[in-house]
Amino acid sequence: MQRIMKIAAIVAVLALVAAACGGDDGDEPTPTGTTDGGALPATGTTGSLSEFGESTDADQALVDKALGPVTPSDEASWNIILASIARATQDLDQATIDKAMECFNSQECDTGTGGEIVMGYADGGGDTVNVWRAVSHMEAILQALTYDEIGAIVSTEANFGGPTFDPTIAENDIRFLINRGVDFIVGYPDIGVGLKEEVLEAEAAGIPYIPFSAGYVGLPGTEGALTPGEDYLTVVGEDLCELGESFAGILNTGVGAGEVAILGGTPNNALSLGWQQCAIPALAGGVELVNPPPNENTTTGDTFWSDGAIPGVFQALLTTNPDIKGYAYEYSDGMNTGLKEYEGLGIPVENLTLALRTDEQTLFCDWVERAEPTYNIFYSAGGNFQSRVGVTAAMMNIAGAPIPAEIVVPHVMRQVTAADCNPNRVNPYVSGTSLVPDSVLSLMFAS
Amino acid sequence: MTTTKAPSAALTWLVVGSRYMPVYIALVLLVIVAAIWAPAALGSVPLRAIAPYGAVLAITALGQVLVIMTGGIDLSVPGTMSLAAVIMIGIGAGSDENIGMAIAVALVAAAVVGLLNGILIGGLKLNALIVTLAVGLIVIGVVNRYGRTFPVQNPVPEGWSDWVATRILGVSAVFWVGLGLTIVVSVVLRYTAVGRRFQVVGANPVASGVVGVRVTLNQILVYVVAAVLYAIAGLALAGLIRRPGVYVGSEYLLAPIAAVVIGGASLTGGLASPFSTFAAAFFLTGLNQLMLTIGLPTSLQFVVFGLVIIGGMLVSGDRIIRGVEQVLRERKRPDGSQTQTAPGSG
Repeated sequence: MQRIMKIAAIVAVLALVAAACGGDDGDEPTPTGTTDGGALPATGTTGSLSEFGESTDADQALVDKALGPVTPSDEASWNIILASIARATQDLDQATIDKAMECFNSQECDTGTGGEIVMGYADGGGDTVNVWRAVSHMEAILQALTYDEIGAIVSTEANFGGPTFDPTIAENDIRFLINRGVDFIVGYPDIGVGLKEEVLEAEAAGIPYIPFSAGYVGLPGTEGALTPGEDYLTVVGEDLCELGESFAGILNTGVGAGEVAILGGTPNNALSLGWQQCAIPALAGGVELVNPPPNENTTTGDTFWSDGAIPGVFQALLTTNPDIKGYAYEYSDGMNTGLKEYEGLGIPVENLTLALRTDEQTLFCDWVERAEPTYNIFYSAGGNFQSRVGVTAAMMNIAGAPIPAEIVVPHVMRQVTAADCNPNRVNPYVSGTSLVPDSVLSLMFAS
Repeated sequence: MTTTKAPSAALTWLVVGSRYMPVYIALVLLVIVAAIWAPAALGSVPLRAIAPYGAVLAITALGQVLVIMTGGIDLSVPGTMSLAAVIMIGIGAGSDENIGMAIAVALVAAAVVGLLNGILIGGLKLNALIVTLAVGLIVIGVVNRYGRTFPVQNPVPEGWSDWVATRILGVSAVFWVGLGLTIVVSVVLRYTAVGRRFQVVGANPVASGVVGVRVTLNQILVYVVAAVLYAIAGLALAGLIRRPGVYVGSEYLLAPIAAVVIGGASLTGGLASPFSTFAAAFFLTGLNQLMLTIGLPTSLQFVVFGLVIIGGMLVSGDRIIRGVEQVLRERKRPDGSQTQTAPGSG
C-alpha cells in the first residue's frame, strides 16, 4: 500500500511539473480568414520558444496592426514573427524612449544594459532618404532594447540618393560593421548581389547577416545570388511570388480589360524582381502591360523609390499611355508622388486600380480627398516591423534556436477605406502598420 | 607672292558658329528619333511636362559653363543644390512667410561655398577637380547633418511649390527663369566690359594678366556666380519635387558637364555659348525622357548617356575648329598661293 501511495505521489508531482512547464509544444495558431476578414490568428504560447528566451504570446491587436487578417505562414516562421511582435511594447517608459532616440541619432550607442552582444544595422539608404527607412531603423532599435544581452547598437547607412548612388558605400558599411566586431547584422541590401562578397565575409567572421523586407542578396535563381540558410542566416519577408500574384489578381479584377503598368525600385533589386516575375505571367489576357521588362531577370519601371526619379518615370509612361488603368508597385507614397504628374499632363485620376505593398497614408488621404468612385487602392503592409523579426531571429540564433532559411511573413491585400486616413497621425508618411509607438514617432518627426 | 586677306565676317561667323552646331544637329536627330519611336513624346503636353526639369539642368549647366570657360571644373554642384533645397525646407518650415528668407539664405550659403572653391582654386591655384569634389563632399555632410534637424520628407512651403508649378504662356515658370538667366549671361558676356574681361581670362589667363585684367579675382568670382546658379536650380528642383530628400542634387554631378561639352564648350577653357549650353541641357533631358518612354532598361539608359557624352566630346567645338582650320589652310587660290586666315577661336 505504501508503495502504491509513493508511486501515486510521484505521478502527481510529475503531473504538476508538466503543467507548470507550459502547454503543448505542438500548438499551432488557428488558421485565419482572408481579405473578407475571417477569424484572426490566435497567438501561440510561451512553451515552444521559451528555452530560447522568447514568447509567442503576442498582443493580437499588434499582430492585426502589423499584418492585417492574414493566414499564418509556416510554423517556424510564424513563431518567430509572433515572438518579435510579443516584444513590441507600445507603452514605453521615458528612459527607453530617450535611449531609442539616442541610438537613432547616433552611429553607435550604449544600451546601458551592460550586455556583451553588439547589434549591427546596415541600411542601403538611410534615415534621411525616406520615412520608411527611418521607421524600420527605429523598429530594429526598439527591438534591440528589449534584449538585456545587447549592450551596443551600431548603425550605418549608405546614403542612397537616387540613380547615382555609390554601391561601394554599402559594401564598406558592412566591412565597417565586421571590423567593429558586431555579433549580427540586420539590414536591407539595396545593391542586392552587389553585397555578396561582404555578406560572405561577415558570415565567415561568424557574424550572421539577416536582411528584411525580402531583401535577398540576389534573388534565388539569378546569377551570383547567395542562398539564404546556407550563405547567410535567413531572410525575412513575404513570399514574393505570392505577393506578385496577389497584385496581379487585384489588377485582373479591378481593371478587367485595359492597360496597366508595373513599377519597382532600384534596378533588379530582389524585392521588385521577385514579385514582378510572378505578377506579369499572372496578368489576365485582357490586361495589357505597357512596360514589360526586356527579360524575366530584369525589373521594369525602376523608380529607385526616389522622389527625384519617380516623376520622370510617370511622365514617360503617361506620355505614350495616357489610359493606364492600373499600377502594381511596392511604395504607396511613391505612387502619391507619381499621381501628381497626372495633373501636370492634364490626365484625370479616374478608372484607376492600384495594387501596393506599403501603406503610407499620404496616398490614402489623397484618395479620400479625391472621392473618385472609380479609383480604388489595395495594399498589403508596410513591412517596417520586419526589422524587428530580423533582430529576434538573430538573438534566437545566438541562443541556439534553429532558424528557417526564409522567415515568411504572410500578407493579405486590403482595400483602402476612409478610415485609413487618420488626420491626427504623427506623420502622414509613416505606415499605419508600423509598430513604433506614437510616443517615439512624435519625437522622430517633431516639426 | 603670297598675300593675306582678312577673313570675311561670314567666314568668321561660320568658323566660330560651327563649334556650336553639333548640339542643334543633335536636337534635330532627337526629334526625328522620337517621331519614329515615340511620336507621342513630341506632343505639347509632354514637352511642357519636361520643360521645368530641362530648365533646372540648364541653370546648373550655365554655372558649369562659366567655370569651364576659365579652364576649371566644378563637382560641387550636387552638394550646393541639395544645400539650397534643404534650406528651403528647414528655414521655410512650411510657411509661405519664410520663403523670401529661405531663398536669401540659400543663395548666400551657396555663395559662401562658391567663394571657398574660388579661393582654393583661383587664389591658391589648387586643382579644381579635386577641390570642388572635396568641397562638395563637405557640403553634403553639412546637408546630411542639417537635414536631421527636421523630419525627413518634410515639404517645401506650399506657396513655393505652387509658384514653381505656375505656367506662363502655358510653360513652366522655371523654364522662363532658365531662359532669362541664359539671356542675362549671354548679354553680360558679350556686351559688357566685365563679360569681355571674363572671356579673355578664360581664353588666355597669362595674356590677360599682362594687360592688367585681374585674373585671380575673375577666377574666384566665377565659382561664386556658378554656385548661386546651382542654388537657384536647387530651389527650383525642391519646388518641383515638393518633398526633396537631402540628396536631391545627386543626379547633377555629371549631367551639367555633359551639357556644357555637348553645347560646344572646350574643357580647356575659352569660348562657350550659353544658348548652346541651354539647348544641350534640353537635349539631354529630352533624351532621358525618350529612353524612359520607349522603355529602355535602366542599365542601357546609363550606357546611352555615356555614349552621348563621348560623342559630344568627339564632335567637340575644338575638333570642329581644328577641322575647319585645316580645310581653310589647305584651300588654294587659283594662282596656286594659299590664303591665310585668322584662327577660328576668339
